[in-house]
Amino acid sequence: MHVLEVNHLKKSFGAVQAVKDVSFQVEQGEVFTIIGPNGAGKTTTLEMIEGLVPPNQGEIQFGNLNWKKNSDDIKKIIGVQPQLSAMFDLLTPSEHLQLFASFYDKSRHEDEILKMVNLTEHKDKQVRNLSGGQRQRLAIGMAMVGDAEMIFLDEPTTGLDPQARRNLWDIILRLKALDKTIILTTHYMDEAEQLSDRVCIVDQGEVITIDRPDALIKKLTVEREVRLAFLEHEEAAINSEKVLNALSVVSHVERDLTELKIWTEDPEYTLLELFNFTNKKDYQVDQISIREMSLEDVFIAFTGKEWRD
Amino acid sequence: MSQFKQLFLMHLKMTFREKQAWFWGLFFPVILMVIFMFIFADSSDEDFEASVAVVEESPNEISTAISDQMEIIPTLVVEHELDDRSEAEELVEDQEVAAAVVLPESEDESSILLIVNTEDEQSTSTQVVSGVLNNIVQQMNLQVVGATETYALDFETISSSEHELSYQDFLLTGLIALAVAQGGLFGMVDLVDMRRKGLIKRLRMTPVNMSLFGFSDMIMRLLFSIIQIIVLALIGVLLFNATLHINLLGLVVLFIVGALSFNAIGYFISSFSKTTEAYMGVANIFSFLMMFLSGVFFPIDMMPEWLHPVAHVLPLTYFAEGLRDTMVYSIGIESSTIWFYMGVMALWGVVAYIIGSWLYRRKSIVATR
Repeated sequence: MHVLEVNHLKKSFGAVQAVKDVSFQVEQGEVFTIIGPNGAGKTTTLEMIEGLVPPNQGEIQFGNLNWKKNSDDIKKIIGVQPQLSAMFDLLTPSEHLQLFASFYDKSRHEDEILKMVNLTEHKDKQVRNLSGGQRQRLAIGMAMVGDAEMIFLDEPTTGLDPQARRNLWDIILRLKALDKTIILTTHYMDEAEQLSDRVCIVDQGEVITIDRPDALIKKLTVEREVRLAFLEHEEAAINSEKVLNALSVVSHVERDLTELKIWTEDPEYTLLELFNFTNKKDYQVDQISIREMSLEDVFIAFTGKEWRD
Repeated sequence: MSQFKQLFLMHLKMTFREKQAWFWGLFFPVILMVIFMFIFADSSDEDFEASVAVVEESPNEISTAISDQMEIIPTLVVEHELDDRSEAEELVEDQEVAAAVVLPESEDESSILLIVNTEDEQSTSTQVVSGVLNNIVQQMNLQVVGATETYALDFETISSSEHELSYQDFLLTGLIALAVAQGGLFGMVDLVDMRRKGLIKRLRMTPVNMSLFGFSDMIMRLLFSIIQIIVLALIGVLLFNATLHINLLGLVVLFIVGALSFNAIGYFISSFSKTTEAYMGVANIFSFLMMFLSGVFFPIDMMPEWLHPVAHVLPLTYFAEGLRDTMVYSIGIESSTIWFYMGVMALWGVVAYIIGSWLYRRKSIVATR
């Protein structure tokens, strides 16, 4: 049984088709990430699921519940961190959590949440005096306070410094450990790769593909890029290039002085052949690296676009 | 219940921590009252006094008789008793005294001389002093010819009830009405601010009961207005001798209807204001219009005739009048006038609320799902 099922969502704002066709299912306890460039329709999709924007077409089911019949019940099981961290400037984190806790039948204790989002120290500061990262963490705390089964995080790390981003990743992983279902949007590839069980790539209002991050990468792993550099003069590189070009698994080689970039379908075999040759000639290899494919490459491969932050 | 408590606490803390709320809600009306009391209440004070210097160059029977008479008249305070006229003239010149009275030098002389500063020739104190002296002279004339008064002037005041309305009472009740009205009119700016920050949207993603949200806000506002009334009334009574005869039930009912109506007007303004600045602009126009046309600082009768219809449409006119009736004249809900006042205010409130919520729904600012 899927905890969330979305079928053929469509939404237009005037002449702009923000969401053209989005469908997916989310399983209990997974981190499901929607990635895509700005304007891909991530936030609109999320807002439709959260019940803020009615879709023009399509269905949204939370198990047996839907917005038309069970809006009150759905609000009890979801926790939302909106993109704009909407808070009361004059209230403290502690007061926010108490207020929001009172909206739910069952709620988590304020102290527990504060600890989880690392705000215990700042719990009595008015929100207007908090930093961006602290506000963002409070927003996530507010999404958790009702002990929601499903938590929606809309670009939780946008605009944060690297340290604050890492902190948020920890929080998200802690939520996952509590067996919460997390639906996340981001436009950071590394984030999606680190956190998600499954990734849904969205572009121009349509789902391009949905899969586990490593599976997505594997799908593309036809060719890998190997880099290596020699200690000797160019001669070693020039001779090696000739050997490599003779191999059938190597599609092409680029040389820059003593450095080589090799594109190959089988890095292991290619390197084995190369080392046999360098061993014979007694060439000294200085550096070697095999570039990992990233979700960024996946994205570029699927959408045919350069990644833009 | 806990939800209501938390929502109420939220509204309370936000108001309590917002310095602007304190300034406009309490400090500003208090300042306004103090200023207006000092400017206007003083000159219309019943205990009018004029200080005079009496010159008695050579005391005689008539001069002593006159000066004795003057001593008993409470409005005249004899500050200097001199025997030299030039000294008195100096005092008048320096405006140390309102007037100098030169008494007859002998029993044969029949005129009393009144010296005033040219600047003060038309002033109230000059008129009072000369009026009093005229009276004394006439009394003496009558005595000399041995006649008794044939006609006498009797003086009596009439008001609509047993209590008199002094300017202090008038201004105090007017300012209380103004403070409560402005609280409602300006208070709803929070709603615009919360909408702009996405807070309304945020709350709607939770199972919160939005009517409880609005209700707790109302209760908080009513409490704040009660504080306004108490503080202003205390200052008025203790510092400026306003006399209040409060009909509590009448006051409470009128206050609730009034406060809710002005809040509804604020709600209406919030429904079409996209920014807080726009809201404040509209609220200020409305507030200024009411401030000067609703008989807060001076009675409506003092305004030109053609403005009267405007005054009779504005809700603050009825709120101020209603507060005067219930706080000064002790008139309660048995009076049909009070019900008429409340009716006009309620009409404003209901119409503003209906249009406001219609606008909210039409623009789906707060989509009802």
